[in-house]
Amino acid sequence: MKDLFKSRPDRKNQNGVRPGRGIAFRLSLWILLSATVIFTLVFGYYYFLTRQIMIRKIGQHAVDVAQGTAARLDVVLAAAQKIPQNVSVLISNPAYADHQKLVDLMTSVLKNNADVYGMAIAFEPYSRDRRKRLYSPYAYRKADGIADTLITYDYFSWDWYRLPALRSRALWVEPYFDEGAGNIIMSTYSVPVYRDVSGRNTFSGVVTVDISLEWLRRIVAEIQLNGRGYAFLVSQSGMFVTHPDQGLIMNQTIFDLAQEAGDPALRRVGLRMTTGESGMEELKGFRNGEPCWLAFAPLSTTGWSLGLVLPRDELMTDVSRHYHLTLLFGTVGMILLFGVVLWVARGMTRPLRVLTAATQTMAAGNLEVPIPAVRRQDEIGRLAASFAAMRQSLQTYIRELTRTTAAKERIESELRIAHDIQMGMLPRIFPPFPDRADMDIYALLQPAREVGGDLYDFFFMDENHLCFIVGDVSGKGVPAALLMAVTKILVKSKALRGVSPSEILRGVNDDLAQDNPSMMFVTMFLGILDVRTGETVYANAGHPSPCVIRSGAGIETLPFTGGMALGVVEGFSYRTQTVKLQKNDALFLYSDGVTEASNDRNELFESMGLNTVVGDLKTGDPKALIDGMLSRIEAFAGDEPQADDITMLGIRYYGTER
Amino acid sequence: MDIVVTREETLSVFALRGRLDAVSAPELEERLNAWFNEPAANLVFDLSGLDYISSAGLRVFLTAAKKIKSRNGKLGMSQLKPNVQEVFTISGFIALIPAFESLEAALEAVR
Repeated sequence: MKDLFKSRPDRKNQNGVRPGRGIAFRLSLWILLSATVIFTLVFGYYYFLTRQIMIRKIGQHAVDVAQGTAARLDVVLAAAQKIPQNVSVLISNPAYADHQKLVDLMTSVLKNNADVYGMAIAFEPYSRDRRKRLYSPYAYRKADGIADTLITYDYFSWDWYRLPALRSRALWVEPYFDEGAGNIIMSTYSVPVYRDVSGRNTFSGVVTVDISLEWLRRIVAEIQLNGRGYAFLVSQSGMFVTHPDQGLIMNQTIFDLAQEAGDPALRRVGLRMTTGESGMEELKGFRNGEPCWLAFAPLSTTGWSLGLVLPRDELMTDVSRHYHLTLLFGTVGMILLFGVVLWVARGMTRPLRVLTAATQTMAAGNLEVPIPAVRRQDEIGRLAASFAAMRQSLQTYIRELTRTTAAKERIESELRIAHDIQMGMLPRIFPPFPDRADMDIYALLQPAREVGGDLYDFFFMDENHLCFIVGDVSGKGVPAALLMAVTKILVKSKALRGVSPSEILRGVNDDLAQDNPSMMFVTMFLGILDVRTGETVYANAGHPSPCVIRSGAGIETLPFTGGMALGVVEGFSYRTQTVKLQKNDALFLYSDGVTEASNDRNELFESMGLNTVVGDLKTGDPKALIDGMLSRIEAFAGDEPQADDITMLGIRYYGTER
Repeated sequence: MDIVVTREETLSVFALRGRLDAVSAPELEERLNAWFNEPAANLVFDLSGLDYISSAGLRVFLTAAKKIKSRNGKLGMSQLKPNVQEVFTISGFIALIPAFESLEAALEAVR
């Protein structure tokens, strides 16, 4: 992993890949993202499922605890209920008509029943003693033992006395503060006593036991709940009987709390509790805003209900810790996974990076750089092999290219030399006869390639006869150039013997036609000007007819003679013809490269009307004529490449006297 | 350059269309060489579609004329456009390959 980050600062320079954009990083990132999504889904499902199970179990457990506790309380309260029931039977015995005996009985009962706070026996007005309206001895616990007294307040209107008489049965009355007797908050179980008066069962008073709410509170407080959970009791009316918050006791009902909090769930719980149901409800908050569960179970003796408040967070503490650990493991696992994938992927792509570096070196022109050996059978291995093969091909190709380039350069150089040689064969010094005033001549040959098949020549056969030719060898390039050279030499050698144009052409034709398997041919115009008279004899071997520029008149084309191009038919007879040049008349000879120069619309230069163009230029000397023609041809052709050699020759005859 | 060859037993017609210049001449030469490998002796060039002919093209015609002459065949051409006719006329080759106004006349003369 270490060398994974080591080269980071210069990695961009090396590979041109920004850190974080590489295949390895992206692969790792995507795997990590996918794994995170999967993990989150699985974890979420697991969390949801286990939470449901936990809640069900916790709820069941809480209800069990509530019912168990309620049953325990019931046992104690049921035991307390027995006392007044027994006593009510005992006191019908006349032996207990004595006040002291009655008090002793009560005292001994209290001694034997530690759960009972106090006990009263209350009689109907004047029923025990005709002088006394109130008679109700009361025994109760004090810090230093058991005390007894007589209830001095008018107890007949109190619930603990009134309700049993009214309903003719024993019952628990709502908790109350017993002022003047017990002086504590208590709940009282009251049993009506009846005696037989003249055959009628007549209500004669009640026997009660008092249960201290403080005592109840302690019992309830002893219920062990984890953490901040607690238990409370509500009476049948929903009044708090015990609660850790003393302020609620005997002061508020559960419905009051529901109203205050505006919580219908709590109100529903209150209804279920006061109607003696058991169960569990989830609350958004109870007293404080903390979400909690409230489990409840009824006390069958008093009809009260025991509630257990269980803060949700606390119950879920274990589960939450479990989840947090799972999340932690998951996250750590993801990071490890990321690292491992990154490491593996970088290992896999390392040959790619090395290849990239090698390729860059190759791209810079160094084909000798070694392609790193990748001993792998996978795509990367194949890529490396392809790269090596590509480098091999490139090397071969470049070697080949170098060789052919060298060969091409050699050929081009040879062609340049051939061009120079060919041009050197043509008379190119103008004016060629500077000391002659009787005529002027100018010629130009512009090959389409390095060497061409056109030719021109002029020379004096003797003092007065100027021989001039323009010819065109079929085809172009080196073969044409060779034939051109041969033709030129043939013409000159024959012409210097001083024969007529037709005889010269006939001689050249026979020589060329003798052995010509490839049927190369030469068209040629040959003329001989007698500079003394301006008389010109000429013959034409298949060449375009020259123009005669008559000074002070028009342009005329020399008549067609029907001569066959040279080199085709051996023994062909050419005809010599004559044209007379007057002073200042001129001749314009050309090859078909002039008339067939084309522009980008495939139009030919001859469509401009050759005689018209020549006519525009007729007043100048031959050089002006030919330079003018060339510039017009070039203007006409534009960017279209020159297809054929262009040759032009102009002669102006001035005569012997200027 | 399009070359359409119509063969009969002793006579073939080469119909040329387009430009016959240094670029297209080798193709025609190749087709002709293939044709010369077969026994047919007589040949007619239908030049009604030929727009242009250069000296390289003329050379191919001359070669064909020479070969046909050597095997005692007959050669003709028909329907030359004016500029093509002019090239043949100026070079003098009109004397070597008979030119006809119509293909039928050429076929008639060559058959």
